[in-house]
Amino acid sequence: MTPHVDLGTWIAALLTLFALSFLYKDNPLFRFTESLFAGVSLGYYVGTTLNQTLMPNLINPLIHDFNQSWDLLVPGLLGVILYMRYLPKAGWVSRYALAIYVAYYIGLDFTRRLHGEVLPQLARAIVPLSHFDAHTIFYSLVFAAGVFSVLIYFFFSKEQDVVTRRVARVGIYFLMVSFGAAFGFTVMGRVALLIGRMNFLILNWIYPLFGIR
Amino acid sequence: MAGFVDKLLNIDRRWLFLLVFIGVALPIVMPIGLPVTTTASTRDAFEFIEGLKPGDAVLISFDYGASSGPENDPMAEGIMRQCFLKRLRVVICALYPLGGLQLANNSLAKVTAEFPDLKYGEDYVNLGFKDGAQAVMKRMGDDIVGAFPTDVRGTPLARIPMMKGVRSLRQVSVVVTVTTGIIGEYWITQAHPQSGVPVIVGPTAVGAPKYYAYLNAGQAVGMLSGMKGAAEYEKLLAAKYPPLERFYKSTHAFTATKGMDAQTVIHFVIILFIIMGNVATLSQRAARRKAEAR
Repeated sequence: MTPHVDLGTWIAALLTLFALSFLYKDNPLFRFTESLFAGVSLGYYVGTTLNQTLMPNLINPLIHDFNQSWDLLVPGLLGVILYMRYLPKAGWVSRYALAIYVAYYIGLDFTRRLHGEVLPQLARAIVPLSHFDAHTIFYSLVFAAGVFSVLIYFFFSKEQDVVTRRVARVGIYFLMVSFGAAFGFTVMGRVALLIGRMNFLILNWIYPLFGIR
Repeated sequence: MAGFVDKLLNIDRRWLFLLVFIGVALPIVMPIGLPVTTTASTRDAFEFIEGLKPGDAVLISFDYGASSGPENDPMAEGIMRQCFLKRLRVVICALYPLGGLQLANNSLAKVTAEFPDLKYGEDYVNLGFKDGAQAVMKRMGDDIVGAFPTDVRGTPLARIPMMKGVRSLRQVSVVVTVTTGIIGEYWITQAHPQSGVPVIVGPTAVGAPKYYAYLNAGQAVGMLSGMKGAAEYEKLLAAKYPPLERFYKSTHAFTATKGMDAQTVIHFVIILFIIMGNVATLSQRAARRKAEAR
């Protein structure tokens, strides 16, 4: 080991190589790295949630200012009740906490979907064509044709006739274009991750190892 | 010819991995410096932050983990540099459980080291991580202290000078969510309708396509798509701020602009594979038809 490369870099570099070794074939080093990663991730999650969420938002207020924070006992208790499912005789109690948890997120998500997705996207799909230039009008028409034809493709309540089948076919083309774009982006994203690792291996590990700047 | 086509179609995929490996490694060892062109969504994000006044509050949410660091880190760091140069107040938080806080700490330490005159608590603050993204945003829309009673160091927010005028998301000029997964969507579809706060999104390339719908509907004011978006942002920063131009040219650290060399080479390699695969398949099909016709 040279003084240029610290222990942490060595560990990270070797674990990276172990993980990449799966590309050649499955092996014990890969499985060790996989298990280590899963374990470290879980430990990190538990530690961070305890220090950053439970301590400042629940435990510290209850300890230091109980008179002002006693109401936190309710969500705290609900959280504890969730774990009652592991006690065979008292498992049913956890359903009450789960029901409140699910109900909260349904309420939250219902308004989010409506005000954050359905209504703004609907409003964008209905635009007056009179205020735009030729380019925008063309773009909006393509957009409208895409929305309409894809909606027809996903309309399953009635058997398609000659006309709707043709419109649905146009919808398929729009979908294929969007899948192609998504695939292109996915490839770009995955390659970016490889670039990040290779940069680390070359610039942070190999170069310092050989004294190259 | 038929034998060559069969060999091509049955090639061991590990040879392709090796080619991709070489295609990524070579531009890192010998940088090419290929040009990067900017797109409207990135320019919109840049111009929006440029339009803010000194003292305005910008919330940067680290909603990604280590696995997408090469794409997301340059975005977050580029936007932080712009904010600090414009003397905007930067509020950092992390809502992604698996590493968001660590990456926020790393990026903040890296960028603030470049601006030694900045003061913690006056120019920037790190609120730390909070679990339950949607519920946290809901609370921040009404009361940031309710969601983050203390900063990452355990200091109550009431004692942090720069947070005095920032009680809820309504006092934040823009939220920048650097994101992987769904948390970026929550900022756009929940925090934005609730508080009206403009949102700039910096998704990974994998997540970028779905954000175009929000961008088109005006629900996001700008977007940096993956490493390419980050490289575009670096170009805009370098063009606007001479110190950053010098920094991005001279730094030995990883930047998105450097990564785009390898990205472009790999795209050529993949396009070549696709063409070769299709040509081989079509040739094989033609040969089979010919044989059947005989």
